[in-house]
Amino acid sequence: MTDASKIRNFSIVAHIDHGKSTLADQFLLKTGAITQRDFRNQVLDDMDLERERGITIQMHPVTLYYKLDGETYELNLIDTPGHVDFTYEVSRSLAACEGAILLVDAFQGVQAQTVANAYLAIDNNLTIVPVLNKIDMPIARPDDVIAEMESVLGIQPEEVLRVSAKTGLGMDDVMRAIIDRIPPPSGKPDAPLKALIYNSHFDSYKGVVIYIRVVEGTLRKGQRIKFMRGNTDHEVAEMGQFRPNPTPCNVLGPGQVGFFMAQVRKLDDVHIGDTVTEANRPTAAALPGYKEPQPMVFSGLYPTNNDDFEELREALMKLRLNDASFTYLPEVSEGLGFGFRCGFLGMLHREIIQQRLERESQLDVVQTAPNVTYEILNRNGEVIVIDNPQKVPVDGQIEEFREPFVKISFLVPAKNIGDLMQMCAERRGIYQRTEYLSTSRAILVYEMPLAEVIYDLYDKLKSVTHGYGTMDYEFLAYRAADLVRLDVLVHHNRVDALSTIVHRSSADKRGRKLLKKLREEIDRHMFEVVLQAAVGSRIIARESIAALKKDVTAKCYGGDITRKRKLWAKQAEGKKRMKQVGQVELPQEAFLAVLESDD
Amino acid sequence: MSNTRPNNSIPNWRLPEAAYIHIPFCAQHCGYCDFAIATGKDAVRDNYLDALEKEISKLGKPHPVQSWFLGGGTPTELTATQLERLCLILKQWLPLTGEAEFSIEANPDSTTEDKLAILAYHGLSRLSLGVQSFQEPVLQLLDRKHKNPQVERVIADARKLKISSISIDLIFGSAGQSLESWKYDLSRGLALQPDHFSTYGLTYEKGTPLWKRMNRGEIIPLEDTEELAHYEAAIDTLEAHGMEHYEISSFARKGRRCWHNQVYWENSAYYGFGMGAARYVAGKREVNTRDLDSYIQKALSGQETIFQSEQLEPREEAVETLGLNLRRMQGANRERFFMRTGFHLDEITGPNKDHLVQQGLLKDDGESLSLTRRGRHLADWVVTRLF
Repeated sequence: MTDASKIRNFSIVAHIDHGKSTLADQFLLKTGAITQRDFRNQVLDDMDLERERGITIQMHPVTLYYKLDGETYELNLIDTPGHVDFTYEVSRSLAACEGAILLVDAFQGVQAQTVANAYLAIDNNLTIVPVLNKIDMPIARPDDVIAEMESVLGIQPEEVLRVSAKTGLGMDDVMRAIIDRIPPPSGKPDAPLKALIYNSHFDSYKGVVIYIRVVEGTLRKGQRIKFMRGNTDHEVAEMGQFRPNPTPCNVLGPGQVGFFMAQVRKLDDVHIGDTVTEANRPTAAALPGYKEPQPMVFSGLYPTNNDDFEELREALMKLRLNDASFTYLPEVSEGLGFGFRCGFLGMLHREIIQQRLERESQLDVVQTAPNVTYEILNRNGEVIVIDNPQKVPVDGQIEEFREPFVKISFLVPAKNIGDLMQMCAERRGIYQRTEYLSTSRAILVYEMPLAEVIYDLYDKLKSVTHGYGTMDYEFLAYRAADLVRLDVLVHHNRVDALSTIVHRSSADKRGRKLLKKLREEIDRHMFEVVLQAAVGSRIIARESIAALKKDVTAKCYGGDITRKRKLWAKQAEGKKRMKQVGQVELPQEAFLAVLESDD
Repeated sequence: MSNTRPNNSIPNWRLPEAAYIHIPFCAQHCGYCDFAIATGKDAVRDNYLDALEKEISKLGKPHPVQSWFLGGGTPTELTATQLERLCLILKQWLPLTGEAEFSIEANPDSTTEDKLAILAYHGLSRLSLGVQSFQEPVLQLLDRKHKNPQVERVIADARKLKISSISIDLIFGSAGQSLESWKYDLSRGLALQPDHFSTYGLTYEKGTPLWKRMNRGEIIPLEDTEELAHYEAAIDTLEAHGMEHYEISSFARKGRRCWHNQVYWENSAYYGFGMGAARYVAGKREVNTRDLDSYIQKALSGQETIFQSEQLEPREEAVETLGLNLRRMQGANRERFFMRTGFHLDEITGPNKDHLVQQGLLKDDGESLSLTRRGRHLADWVVTRLF
């Protein structure tokens, strides 16, 4: 058991792509946890998907040993994700630490999630170690960026360390700052055990692996422990630390971070944020824990082949074992048959779940356009939660239709402020304030319906700011709005999975745009396909797709055959993602057309 | 070297009995063409023949075949001397046997009598003439430089030299072309009394100059329905004149089908030599590099000229066979299909087949599966729904 005075627990917080994973790998290298030979980029991102996308999704703890001035220190690095969808995960990581490295790219400067994550760290009373990364880049502008950090976050310029995580430049200073600046954890080893569960994952051999940070007392192998929230007793069967590979140990004392297994078979039996204590000597008060994240974005997932429904259920169940923030419930659509309504933290989370599903299960699924959760106050005073446009009751029964609003912060070049304001106005944004980081960059804060945010805001922001703008948002409240359900009829059949909820003022425009998009996405059929958009019984737009008359390759000789076969294979592959609705085949893209803007 | 082969002979499908030789040179790049061609490279033609000889000689010993097909590019861009040399190379390594077919793709403006005479001497039995149209505006759109009298002259020369089968290529559905204009081209073609017609709908292949012009809005392609009317007119007119429609784009007088091309649609084996040439030997598809300099340099230094190579799985091969067979009016015969691929035709087709038959796109008489007339217009659509 390491003495608490020799322990430092910290996270790295940063905007996405500012080099967090590379810095984490430098820690591993610096402390000999991995050798130069094993050094691959981004060791901590062990999910394939994370590596591919260069983002960290779930928290990966690692325990490191570092010698400074003759003393050996135990450093626990708790990785955090850097995307707006995963703010909840960030705050969980931070609660297990005393300090945070605030990493900022020396060229890109302070970005929206730098600000959001820095405030999260400050709110958690963490000591911040500001670090400027990529200072070896020829286009780095360290002095400007340090000035931004000072003006927005109140960071003292002389405290900022300058490093290159890629080359290891400046790493010694970072190591020293972690030990000198971040306070050691407090807590008595002989007090009743009090440990925070900050994460867990499901291992198919060992059951649930529980990640903890000991706050007080000592966790021992073989000890009888109790989950305070579930009030269930277990015996610690195995325990250890991640160094970075799971390494068994017998004891974890105050301030230490590690994992244990206790014959827990279901992830649902472990509550993130719960407190672990001793069964026969429980602590008096549990730790405050966390607020459960609520899925904010929903979409339907349907097997392309209706016979695969049960297989899809299995696959979703497996996914949920490792990601409790994702939810699913069976639903039926007239057009698509049996499927599931799934809830996600945000758009990236949704995309990741879909990709993992396809990768891990080999099922072909059709996904409907995502929507946010709405609330409807009925005439009879009852509030119903709408996670699917199909559930909207008929007009006469609705007293009030409410949608989620978020507070959204944009960090943009000052010269784009005008365009950004127009973009927000078009999306029913309510202006709050502007704050300048410097003469050239500013933070704009708006309140905006979440539905507008998921529609196309991120892409628009990137295009308006030529890639330099960033954003971050947090949920505010449900607010009443004049909302309607926009339906789509394909060949005179209403396709429920294409229905969306929109603001009445934009229904006509959205309807026309949607049909135009659908017209592009739906293949021509042997007959003319009529597309209509409707609000209630009123048709607001119409398009048609002419019948297919001719589809034949003129020439097919020796050199053309391979090309031909590939075309057949490609089209056959595309057909797998088709859903037959009445006589019409709808491709996956049709269901997502609702999301895209065409300008 | 006599006539073309009878229609019902079965090409051997495993080892090539057909050889394709690619001659990439062209006087200019026609706007619609996306084949492996080279312009302004007259100086390297002899080097190219050296390279071709080197590539073919890798066979190690002569492999007798039943057809040569000189395609391009423009094979008739070679000089008479160069054509003579090419024939000698082919004779050495790929001697023709039995009732052989020797085809060449020819341009009216570069096919001189002396070239034809040399080719005829070496057994040329089939001349495929790239006429495309008899009308100046269409020829201009397609970048074709020849004049009608040249077409007539080449055909007269070929007849004089007893070249037994003459085929004419025509393109329909050019931007702005009316049905009447296309019918005029057909009648002009028929007046020349060729043995064979290949009629192609104009395709805007990605990346070609014509495709770029279309994307810039300078050219507006015909509507499907108009192009379809052209195709229908071709079938009606040519059939009325005793031509048999035997493949989507091919029509022939009795006994004058192109044997070599039927090898492709039977999905049988064939050799391919030269820049960009494709071959299919023992279930392996290979394509040579499409870069002229690199082809010459690699072939001459004895290196591999292959740019893509792919060994097909038995099922892939069966799928491909069915797709290709369906291009023929005779379609796919169940018994032959099974003998040829080892798969029953009905295990390769999916549950959609009966639906396609009901829709009147496919014909199934229990022995063979083939496209109906309506199905021919939608051949690609039908095939992708069949598997």
